[in-house]
Amino acid sequence: MSNILDSLSIELRRGTLTLAVLSQLRTQQYGYSLVQKLEKSGIIIEQSTLYPLLRRLEKQELVKSIWDTTESRPRKYYLLTEFGRDVYETLKEEWLKNSSELSKLLEGDGHDEFN
Amino acid sequence: MNLIEVYINEVTRRLPIKNREDIGLELKSTIEDMLPDQYTEEDVKNVLEELGNPAVLASGYNERPMHLIGPKFYDIYVSLLKMIVPIAAVIAFIVVLTEYVVGFGKGDTVLNVGLMILGEGIWNIVHVFIQVFFWLTLTFVILERMDCSKDDYPRTMSLNKWTPDDLKNIPYIPKERVVSKGYVLGSLLWTAVWGTIYFNADHLAGVYKDSGSGLEFLMPALNQDVLNSFWPLIILVLGLEVAFALFLFIKHQWTRQAAILNTIREIVAIIVLVLLISNSNFFNPEFLAYMNTILEFTEEQIKRFIIIITLILFLLFSIINCIDGFRKANR
Repeated sequence: MSNILDSLSIELRRGTLTLAVLSQLRTQQYGYSLVQKLEKSGIIIEQSTLYPLLRRLEKQELVKSIWDTTESRPRKYYLLTEFGRDVYETLKEEWLKNSSELSKLLEGDGHDEFN
Repeated sequence: MNLIEVYINEVTRRLPIKNREDIGLELKSTIEDMLPDQYTEEDVKNVLEELGNPAVLASGYNERPMHLIGPKFYDIYVSLLKMIVPIAAVIAFIVVLTEYVVGFGKGDTVLNVGLMILGEGIWNIVHVFIQVFFWLTLTFVILERMDCSKDDYPRTMSLNKWTPDDLKNIPYIPKERVVSKGYVLGSLLWTAVWGTIYFNADHLAGVYKDSGSGLEFLMPALNQDVLNSFWPLIILVLGLEVAFALFLFIKHQWTRQAAILNTIREIVAIIVLVLLISNSNFFNPEFLAYMNTILEFTEEQIKRFIIIITLILFLLFSIINCIDGFRKANR
């Protein structure tokens, strides 16, 4: 039971990760600060998933990266591109629409139980 | 410190050279971000634990699949394997069979040659299976890695996405009409066996005597010179049988056409048999004389008896076979 639950909830979460990451990149972030921001909002993402994901988004030109070497420790910052911003807005709309439809379904399910 | 370098190296050595430096630097700065100012080896271990297995991390960067053949090509891979392996196995077996039948030497017994054919045949089939499996798998492994299309639809035999039109290419065959591969193999084997015996009848078909140390061949029952003189007709019958078996193998089902061809084949075989058996020198006179000493019939009676029994049996089985073909085709 717990095994099935784990794999199902990972599956549920996986699709939302890209959206969560895009939402935080409206301001520029480096890898670890992004992890911390996401964790603060209760979203847990495997680091071995996040860093490759950032690179993939960069390859798809949704985000751009800048190396900042002015500080003692060089850091790579990521930021949404124009294109990335458009994609993010569209995805957001879609997610909100989906989740409101899903919550209607789930609530309907609840009513059945009580009737 | 050392652990960090080793970890980064473990990740980057799995990546394409052009990305190594950039990813290495980013990883290093990330790891340092995660560590407290004064850190111990224990802290480093915890951080690396969080980043996880370097191979998994590297595969994330690589976007190269961590499987040999994925769901996109798996079905077509298995279908092709199932299609090619039996064909290759049959061909391999026929090659062995032909080699032995052609090279059948004097003094060999059917049992010996049969066992040798079986042994080497099985070995060849295993060999062919390994070859087909290896090359087909290799092809698909390369295909999986070379494939540039972005979608993940599982592919059909045409290498495109499935559409309902694909169903039109699949013939619907009722179970009763299906010709199994075993049936085809069986009839090919039968053809090879009787062909071998026919052309080597002078030391295979005849009277055997138990001489204590196995069976001893006393004398042939038939006249090999007469048998050999019929070779063009026999080759015709053999050829028709092989062609018909291959026809069934390709069609995979009994059709009206198959039943008609089957009947023609049987008629030709019966005609050839009648021509052959009615030849006055068909039997070995020694054999008839020998039978005469054992049984209380004249040579002429024995001859007629054998001829009649043979013809009746052949006709009976031929007619059953022909009717069976039409019956299956009309299902």
